Amino acid sequence: MVIAESPRFMRADGPDKVTGSGRYTADLTLTGMLTAKFLYAGVSHARITKLDVTAARHVPGVFAVLTQADVPDIRYGSVADRTLFSDGVIRFEGEVVAAVAAIDTKSAQAALDAIVFEYEELPVINDVEAALEPDTPLVHENWATYDADDDVSRQANVASFTSITRGDVDAALAGADRVISSRYVADASHAVPIEPRGVVAQWEGDRVTIWSSTQVPFQARDGVCEVLELPTNRVRIIVPHLGGGFGGKCGFHYEAHIAALARASRRPVRLVFSREEEFLAPDRRREGMIIEVTSGLNADGTIAGRRSRVLLDNGAYSSDAAFFPHMAAMHALGPYKIDHVHAEASSVYTNHQPSGSVRAPTAPQACWALESHTDELAKAIGMDPVAFRQLNAVDTGATGVTGQVYDEIGLQECIREAVAASAYGDELADDEAVGVAIGWWPTFPGASGAYIKVDSDGKGVIITGAQECGTGAVMTLPYLAAAELGMAPEDFELVYQDTSVGPYDVGATGSQTLLNNGRATVEAARQIAVQLKQLAAEKLEASPDDIVLNGGKAFVAGSPDSGVTIAELAAIAADGEMLLGRGSGAPPETPEAPNTVSCVGDQGMNGWAGPQFSCHAVRIRLDRDTGVVRVLEVNTAHDSGVIINQIGASGQVEGGVLMGIGQALTERTVYGADAKQMNAGLLEYKLQTMADAPPISIHFAEVYTPDMGPNGSKPIAEAPNVATAAAISNAIAKLVGKPVRLLPMTAERVWETLQEDGA
Amino acid sequence: MNEAYELDVNGVRYPINAAMDRNLSSVLRTEVGLTGTKEGCDDCECGACMVLIDGQPVNSCSYLAAQAQGREVTTVEGILDGDNLHPLQRNLLEEGGVQCGFCTPGMIMSAQALLTRNPSPTEEEIRIGLSGNLCRCTGYQRILAAVERTAAES
Ligand code: FES
Ligand code: FES
Repeated sequence: MVIAESPRFMRADGPDKVTGSGRYTADLTLTGMLTAKFLYAGVSHARITKLDVTAARHVPGVFAVLTQADVPDIRYGSVADRTLFSDGVIRFEGEVVAAVAAIDTKSAQAALDAIVFEYEELPVINDVEAALEPDTPLVHENWATYDADDDVSRQANVASFTSITRGDVDAALAGADRVISSRYVADASHAVPIEPRGVVAQWEGDRVTIWSSTQVPFQARDGVCEVLELPTNRVRIIVPHLGGGFGGKCGFHYEAHIAALARASRRPVRLVFSREEEFLAPDRRREGMIIEVTSGLNADGTIAGRRSRVLLDNGAYSSDAAFFPHMAAMHALGPYKIDHVHAEASSVYTNHQPSGSVRAPTAPQACWALESHTDELAKAIGMDPVAFRQLNAVDTGATGVTGQVYDEIGLQECIREAVAASAYGDELADDEAVGVAIGWWPTFPGASGAYIKVDSDGKGVIITGAQECGTGAVMTLPYLAAAELGMAPEDFELVYQDTSVGPYDVGATGSQTLLNNGRATVEAARQIAVQLKQLAAEKLEASPDDIVLNGGKAFVAGSPDSGVTIAELAAIAADGEMLLGRGSGAPPETPEAPNTVSCVGDQGMNGWAGPQFSCHAVRIRLDRDTGVVRVLEVNTAHDSGVIINQIGASGQVEGGVLMGIGQALTERTVYGADAKQMNAGLLEYKLQTMADAPPISIHFAEVYTPDMGPNGSKPIAEAPNVATAAAISNAIAKLVGKPVRLLPMTAERVWETLQEDGA
Repeated sequence: MNEAYELDVNGVRYPINAAMDRNLSSVLRTEVGLTGTKEGCDDCECGACMVLIDGQPVNSCSYLAAQAQGREVTTVEGILDGDNLHPLQRNLLEEGGVQCGFCTPGMIMSAQALLTRNPSPTEEEIRIGLSGNLCRCTGYQRILAAVERTAAES
């Protein structure tokens, strides 16, 4: 059932959040709770020569000190290259060497100070291209012996590799009218949720409850079970309110460390990160990237062929490595009609903090490079860059780079609407320009589940495994259930983010919550609808098929006045067969890309299910004396299918755009020669503030997308982060005369580009 | 060494027993027991810990608790309008200015201080007045709208 009107959306967790009564993980206190602290390596590449925690264990107030010697010897990860504590070789500065639980912070610090930790330094691998040199040592000497997915190819420091081939790119480039090559380099950056992570663990007998600020409680649970060798039903992860994630709190992180400390000390233990730890330690940093693209153009401006090569900085461990090259390769080819393509992407081990999914992983950087290249192509043949995209970008019925033929999509509508809303083509001051870029992002169908119960007074509870990270996705579920049952959203409460209560869910990752859990919730509600109709049919002496559920009542179609209330039916059901629904909703199928060859590293994603498209137009002002760029206005258009929750979806676009502006202009991680981060603080890292934020307009190209999310919807949370930096780059290039080939395009880099020939 | 002193928080006098080097956010959160005040950096960089001291906005992570003796401390828990939401709280929800909510208490305190000082701020004055409060979720547009609406309504 389609919701007639998008609700004016008041989130159910809102009052908790605005009054300060809502609890986040760091707000929890348990009687007898200890404080955890980690000893980090503080060096990027080294072999441990001595690690002695004997003295630390005798510091007053200290209850437990753990190292890898104290936990099962298990490697984990998508390439099983990770251990809970250092395995004897330090591979990045934020590696945990030991963990302490103590009565207070001072005792914990005293214990850390008492640990004897000695090492011999090894040469650091600080750069992806250097990592590929034949005589560069391996970051993982023995990695041929690690477990990994079958599609991981193990060559030197290449943690994972993907290629995508279609047609004959060599012939296409040889026969092209013009061939243009570009190289772009993006720095690493961070997710930076405002809540630093926290974990609290408490054992009762042989069961552990862990409160964690994770986006993916089931993945965290499975991680704990794997490394501490526990069955899933003895590990319960509960997520209190989550203070943002953006991918930074995906993955399995410190839950097992804290559970192990709590077990060893026989006390509840709490870890709360400082902002510096939040920057340095987690396996979740947006990867640095080198993107090279060569395109051949035909005389009519169409694209004859494209060859792309991407190197990604995997960092020291592979949290998401197997999947990243594939995403990067797709983004380095783009949503264009090109019959001859070849892309290669490698994620390369270095001694940096590990990369991991940060909002639309790989996409903003690769899109920035590809879309900057696209403006270079248009310029080379004297074509308007918007007209160039209108000519070459895919739309309904078109065949994309991997041979996928698109059903109804709204990319061309996005281009038209974003550009129309902007000042593109208007007379502007000579220090202003509008840049335009397009983006895309796949949908990730997956398993998910929900239960619904309606109790004797006609009030319902949705019990779901889904995780709310602030987007409002879980908050939207009552609207879906209510629409199926003719009830009001306020009739439902939510029980969520608790692994022992809700069914499995992938978590707040891949923009998948409403897509997958929405379907599950609708299915669960439909089961209750069947029950309600049966009960009403008996009461009204009609056929269940003729019963309509609407306005809190069940009635025979056409006779709304002679119905029975849902509350009355619920009271009847409470004495007999109770109103219980459960759904998991079969995930949509991923479409084929029949003509593509992926030699290795194929993640089965050459065809994208429910692809989302976007166009962003950004007006900027450039101070040519200083290189300072100010973003004045952002006009966006998104095809995320039918929009279910306007306020929530708009909030995702606005937040994603602002993150994109940060990535475009200021946000970067600076590495020293020792491969250590030099700006691990908010002041030095520079997020955008309210004073920097421009007005943002939004057009939703609401293309009904069948067999995807509920009500014809597609996801939205990551897509807005894709094209903003690219559009800003194209505006800067107009004013500078050439693109700035380094991301972020800091004032210094813009100024330096202005001094170059041809600028 | 702990010392005993009193703090006036949201109109209630609390006996405190804490070391003199403790900052106000940690004393509010652990000794007073009000966790609405958040800590995002402990370094005066994010604004999540913003409280009012005698009506002035202060990052409580960088303010010694003992220094607040004899002053009125107001936290997000103290701005409810009786049992009702304060207009800033309600408008933030209605405009969609709350996502994860972690920046929200600090944002509310800064906005409250701004509107007390300047009941009809311009857009620019709001943007500058709240530029010490980082929000990673919203893009600020709906927070701005909520503050503008609150100013217009009063
Ligand atoms: S915690 Fe005080 S400013 Fe961030
Ligand atoms: S709502 Fe999440 S940081 Fe502002």
